[in-house]
Amino acid sequence: MAPLRLTAQRAAPRFMNIVQRGMATEKQIFNQMVSTKNIQKITSSMKMVSAAKLKGDETRMKLAEPFNVWSSALRADPVECEDATYEDVPGNKCLVVPFTSESGLCGGVNSFISKNTKKCIASLSEQGKDVNVVIVGEKGRSALRRPLGDKIVGSATGVVYPGNFALCSSLSQDVMAEFNSGEYDSIVFLYNHYVNPAVYKQMYQVVSKPQAENGEGEIMPEYDCDGDKDEVVENMFEYMIASQMFYCYMDAGAAEQSSRMAAMENATKNAGEMIDSLTLQYNRARQARITTELIEIISGASAIEG
Amino acid sequence: MALLGVAALSSTMLSRTNHFLRRAARAASMSTEASPTKMTLNFSLPHETIYSGAEVSQVILPGESGEYGVTVKHVPMVSQLQPGVLQILHEEGSSEPEKYFVAGGYALTHENSVTDVTCPEAVKLDDIDPDAVSKNYESAKAALASAADGSVAQAEAQIEVETNKAMGAALGLALA
Repeated sequence: MAPLRLTAQRAAPRFMNIVQRGMATEKQIFNQMVSTKNIQKITSSMKMVSAAKLKGDETRMKLAEPFNVWSSALRADPVECEDATYEDVPGNKCLVVPFTSESGLCGGVNSFISKNTKKCIASLSEQGKDVNVVIVGEKGRSALRRPLGDKIVGSATGVVYPGNFALCSSLSQDVMAEFNSGEYDSIVFLYNHYVNPAVYKQMYQVVSKPQAENGEGEIMPEYDCDGDKDEVVENMFEYMIASQMFYCYMDAGAAEQSSRMAAMENATKNAGEMIDSLTLQYNRARQARITTELIEIISGASAIEG
Repeated sequence: MALLGVAALSSTMLSRTNHFLRRAARAASMSTEASPTKMTLNFSLPHETIYSGAEVSQVILPGESGEYGVTVKHVPMVSQLQPGVLQILHEEGSSEPEKYFVAGGYALTHENSVTDVTCPEAVKLDDIDPDAVSKNYESAKAALASAADGSVAQAEAQIEVETNKAMGAALGLALA
């Protein structure tokens, strides 16, 4: 069977569109050039769209940061994930919430978060802590579904861009419901922090419920309260989760957009280089064909003459 | 012997007066230092940062047990804000405080005279339309009357009624 097929392929390469002996024909190179040019147009326009969206995302993130600064006295500062040991996470039961994107073609943002989520869970489990995960973003859910399996207690996907406080507070309600029903001690948010259009870093933020010292006495003793303090602190904690998720979501969104812009720019550049090399190949093939035709004509003419 | 005793006594007395003199001098120099008269206010919404690190004289906040004012060196406080008016006095004894209507939120006053106010939504009092407030109040009251007891709709209608009432009170409308 095989030898017959091969002979057929060699006899009629054009019909079967097989590259004969590694030399592509002129037509095939031309087709490849056309499709690469189309891809280049698409990636170039995606890059411009991302650049425009990045402006909006950057503004939103710059507003979300001062909005979230009110709780800085009640929680630790965000820590870089690189070389992190996660030993500063209090309590014995933790909820990890990684922020990933909905759509792809956004560079390395989601793979970095997935990697760091797995590292975080591994080191928290090593410390003897109970860990569960709520994933935000479709890309994270599909990437972490197999490795983390039963640790995933919930996911938020299909979140519509660009997102606002109302959206994040409804997301936080689901997280709060899980937090209260599972009796967790702390939440760890994992997100990409946008530094500038070329740089983003993975950070994690620990948030834990303000507790009384050693389980008894007053919560937050340095602060007075003009109402029922326990109730106010309970409500404030829920608001703090919403505010923190809002900031993380905006920050991660800006990082994702900048990463997409960079990825599309690279893709456009690579497509351009490919088109250049294909053009050279095409010209060479075309010139070879013309030369062959000329030789045939000339030898034919000289045969008639002579 | 007596001379030594007198000398010892006088030296202790001298050292003591010296000590008192030095303390008095230090106290005098401390009081001549200007004490800070302004507090720092951070007032932000998710979509707008109204004030960040602004130096103001006083902020009046609508807390749970009524309005309370915060000035420099106020006791650290955490408060859940009710729908009401937030007033900012930029200068001491200013007669024209800047007024915002806040729908809720939290205010934390820290040890270092920094007050953080965070609200999901706040508008300048001047930007509120009194007619729209009265209309919304009436429709919210109707919704509350027709909602089933203990339902989500009832809770939402209740919140709308209270917020619109507070907005009306802030504008000087008497909504019943």
